[in-house]
Amino acid sequence: MSSKVLFRGTPLTTLWNPKIQHKLLQFRRLSSKTTNCCSLQPPNVSHLAKTAHISLTPTEVEEFGPKIQQVIGWFGQLQGVDLQRIEPSIRADTENNLRDNTPETFDQRDAIIASVPSYEEPYIKVPKVLNVD
Amino acid sequence: MLSTLQTPRSSLSRFTLPSTITTLASNSQSTLTTTQSPTTSPPQSQILSIRHSLLTRNLSAVDLARSYLTRLRLTEPHLRSFLHIPDDQTIISQANDLDRRIAAGKDVGPLAGVLVAVKDNICTADMPSTGGSRILQNYRPPFDATAVKKLKELGGIVVGKTNMDEFGMGSTTEASAFQVTANPWDVSRVPGGSSGGSAAAVSARQCVVSLGSDTGGSVRQPASFCGVVGLKPTYGRVSRFGLMAYASSLDAIGCFGSSVADTGILLHAIAGHDRFDATSSKQEVPNFLSHFDSASSLESKPLKGLRVGLIRETIEDGVDAGVVSAIRAAASHFEELGCSVNEVSLPSFSLGLPAYYVLALSESSSNLSRYDGIRYGNQVHADELDSLYGDSRAKGLGSEVKMRILMGTYALSAGYYDAYYKRAQQVRTIIRNSFKEALDQYDILISPAAPSVAYKIGEKKNDPLAMYAGDIMTVNVNLAGLPALVLPCGFVDSEPAGLPVGLQMIGAAFDEGELLRVGHIFEQTLENCRFVPPLVADSVE
Repeated sequence: MSSKVLFRGTPLTTLWNPKIQHKLLQFRRLSSKTTNCCSLQPPNVSHLAKTAHISLTPTEVEEFGPKIQQVIGWFGQLQGVDLQRIEPSIRADTENNLRDNTPETFDQRDAIIASVPSYEEPYIKVPKVLNVD
Repeated sequence: MLSTLQTPRSSLSRFTLPSTITTLASNSQSTLTTTQSPTTSPPQSQILSIRHSLLTRNLSAVDLARSYLTRLRLTEPHLRSFLHIPDDQTIISQANDLDRRIAAGKDVGPLAGVLVAVKDNICTADMPSTGGSRILQNYRPPFDATAVKKLKELGGIVVGKTNMDEFGMGSTTEASAFQVTANPWDVSRVPGGSSGGSAAAVSARQCVVSLGSDTGGSVRQPASFCGVVGLKPTYGRVSRFGLMAYASSLDAIGCFGSSVADTGILLHAIAGHDRFDATSSKQEVPNFLSHFDSASSLESKPLKGLRVGLIRETIEDGVDAGVVSAIRAAASHFEELGCSVNEVSLPSFSLGLPAYYVLALSESSSNLSRYDGIRYGNQVHADELDSLYGDSRAKGLGSEVKMRILMGTYALSAGYYDAYYKRAQQVRTIIRNSFKEALDQYDILISPAAPSVAYKIGEKKNDPLAMYAGDIMTVNVNLAGLPALVLPCGFVDSEPAGLPVGLQMIGAAFDEGELLRVGHIFEQTLENCRFVPPLVADSVE
């Protein structure tokens, strides 16, 4: 692969440590290899922004695209690892310390309400929902 | 003993302090307990010496608070550690109440009179809590985080809220929506992050101790960059209630201090089960300091028999030579103390970094969906609901946060969950097991806390992967949920006074007591290493 393809959007001069460059080269080559053998669609930034409810400007879509692509490509190295028979861990070991399911009244209700941007007792006001597909 | 290390120059940086600071020095030295020579002696617990001074009436809490506030106000324009500092009067009146209690012979808690800075993603009811984000600018939570509540109950005084990368996403404070904090060792450099403000505040003695949070190294890396002690406890050791969630399976509230002892005292104050955090452990909190040996009573090989494992993958290519040299010197110091030190390899160590980022970004995309401008936070006016969400978040959230949310959204999307999130969870299992195996053979594991010393402000350009690469030393510990202590162990040569290097010590789950005991001995026997930045050297003992 030509270095142009590997480093598109990422001037080498911006990498902060020459030794890290070497490690990143390895990361990037590995991620390029692994994403080639996967059938996952690359990230569609506009679509993701809609899903995440963030109104991105066109400039932001253009700016974020290559960076997100780079990182997702780097994640691809997880696909190359043999993980058969390994149980996923939700978190490190923890005990199950649920408290009793009895409701309690929170005593700072006024302080909660004071933070609401648009409030008209007893409603939190929001604009209408527009029905779009 | 550590002859290969660069000792800091004792001269001040180019930044000269006004004469009021030197007057402060001569006043405070006569009142604060100082029994040792300032340049070469190991750090003493400020919390314990404050307690002694207050109870023997050598010093009032009001005078103590005033002296810290003076230094804080003088250094703050150059450091920008704080996002919010209450009126002096608020702090003085709490100190006054304490003085009255002492005069009346009443009991006072172990943190009596201690000024504590709190990272701004930890909720405080009487001060704004922004998480470093515009979307929460001016937000006042209706409650104190459990950790804050506990430290106040034990007599601590919250001196202010510290600067941080927005919602914990960053390692320099450059991603704060408000300001960039400077490293007290060299104000052209970053303090690290995301708890950069909390680390800088302790380093510059603007406060005694501080609270931070650590999801992938955000307490340990700034501790290393700022030359202070930082502790990330075991996941579940400290309640997360009131900590703005970044990645719920990885987040931990951590402590900063200028000595191992102070860090341990603060941890003891805030640790323990909390019914408001179902992931907080019911395991008993031991009195960490009861196993501390005083320096004078140490035998010649006080750590004889301790098995120390130096993680091989953390001293290979990609780590600054100066950092490797400092860590190797620390390993020699351990050997002098009687330890056996061997290199140990952790399989799959490097996989932890992408696994961590998949998990953290995925969980954060979910956790940050609550910032929608409806029930709290800053709202952008819109005529219909979707735009209100989209525009409020677009305006209120910074670029790094937006990108991370988008990447997390991708990794959790239907069809991608198995390829990314689930696989990352499986890698988490591998990492956990590899640490467990290593900690069967070794009592503690050591490594650098970061591959380099503090970078220049602005040096890390817009290359996310280069930025993430700096977390390689710390993320696996969060994946495994283990405790880790970082303490300054040496310097790298750099104008004006050298830059500190931190040693990371990793222990078994809930073994903070052992980490602190060993760390304390290491610290107290380290010669010729004084970790007070020249900026404030004249005004502290």
